[in-house]
Amino acid sequence: MTYALFPGCIARNMYPSIEKSTSLVFKELGLEMVDVKFTCCPAPGVIRSYDFDSWLVIAARNLAAAEERQADLITICNGCFGTLEAAHRHLRKNPEAMGMVNEKLSAIGMSYRGRSEVKHFVDVLDGRLEDLRGKVKVELGLKVAIHYGCHYLKPSCESGRNVESPVVLERIVQALGCESVDFPERLSCCGAGGGVWSGDESVSLKILDRKMRFIKGSGADCILDICPFCHLQLDQGQKRLKERYDVPVLHLNQLIGLSFGIKDKVLGVHTHMVATRDIAKKAKRARLDIKVDA
Amino acid sequence: MKVADALKEFDLAKCVQCGKCTASCPSGRESNLRTRRLVFLLKSGADITADKDLWACTTCYTCQERCPKGVKVTDAIIRIRNSAARAGNRPSIHLTAIRSLLDSSDGFPITPEIAKVRSMIGLPIDPWDVAHDTEQKEKFRRLVRSLAINDMLEESR
Repeated sequence: MTYALFPGCIARNMYPSIEKSTSLVFKELGLEMVDVKFTCCPAPGVIRSYDFDSWLVIAARNLAAAEERQADLITICNGCFGTLEAAHRHLRKNPEAMGMVNEKLSAIGMSYRGRSEVKHFVDVLDGRLEDLRGKVKVELGLKVAIHYGCHYLKPSCESGRNVESPVVLERIVQALGCESVDFPERLSCCGAGGGVWSGDESVSLKILDRKMRFIKGSGADCILDICPFCHLQLDQGQKRLKERYDVPVLHLNQLIGLSFGIKDKVLGVHTHMVATRDIAKKAKRARLDIKVDA
Repeated sequence: MKVADALKEFDLAKCVQCGKCTASCPSGRESNLRTRRLVFLLKSGADITADKDLWACTTCYTCQERCPKGVKVTDAIIRIRNSAARAGNRPSIHLTAIRSLLDSSDGFPITPEIAKVRSMIGLPIDPWDVAHDTEQKEKFRRLVRSLAINDMLEESR
């Protein structure tokens, strides 16, 4: 299958290190990609809360753009996944909504037929686990606090996933030679979704603070996320809390990049707010050990 | 969306007020949001569009997942927000993000600082997207002008 990467606004415009890591990792894995120009997904928290139909039309424009190239969309963000997957399913089930969307799209010479699937990159990676394992050059041995976030798993009527005890990320982390650590409320929200990040900073940060307290208590070397918006909250948000937790934050494609032996400055993880220095040092030592062994 | 339609589409009538939604809510612990209360009011046919608690929901879907009666709680909150937003009851700061999306096609447009980071880590300064393609962007803006969310923004300008 050919994929069109749907990077999303935050990976491009706030955490380009996630875009960079993703392109390097996907290339290394030999995923067949085509370049398609997209807009914002649009953000499910704000746009869907303001006008459902407008949200549908903008999402359908993105789906239609992938269809034109006969590609499935691959998202690296739970928010984009939440929007594109939900819009896709809603449109396929509701001919009336599909008619409305296509009437709007036809004015700019586009149409949505529902032929491109929406994939979350975690599922694509999980389907290539052996390949992934085979490409690991550096077993970092990090203790990782996994943050699933919300919209990869939920609503389960759309994802079909086990939302109360998922194991897919634990499986991937293990394949990379790292260890996942348990902590209370490990599946809870980061506090950024639903427009709360911008709409009510105090509530948003209180939710994050509770999460961070549990993560810190787990003794994790880093937090692992699969969503640039969670990443933004966990990394920048951490710096806005009174309590200093200083737990570095990595998007899964960044942890994979480091495990593939790619240097931290090439991936761009040194540009995060919470210092990733200790992780980078560990990765460097592991790389040197390999050279000494060889 | 009318309240009667919301009742039907999201199975709100099935609610037995058990409170699992409120107990599961990560935001309710830190705010005044009491999901059970919102569902009760909706079920009673009350107009809750002016209720500020609507906007404290992070849409994490935990309540909807755990509801023993299958009420689509989160989906209902999102749709009731549509009516609230239309009536002007919404955090005004969201308009900045909406304006940015409708004007540039990006929810979070690129800043000069991030442009520097992009170039430092070897990415093209301009991302490969509609926002940086004049022709595509014009088409997107034409599409946007046909949408209700654009009217909402125009009214607030």
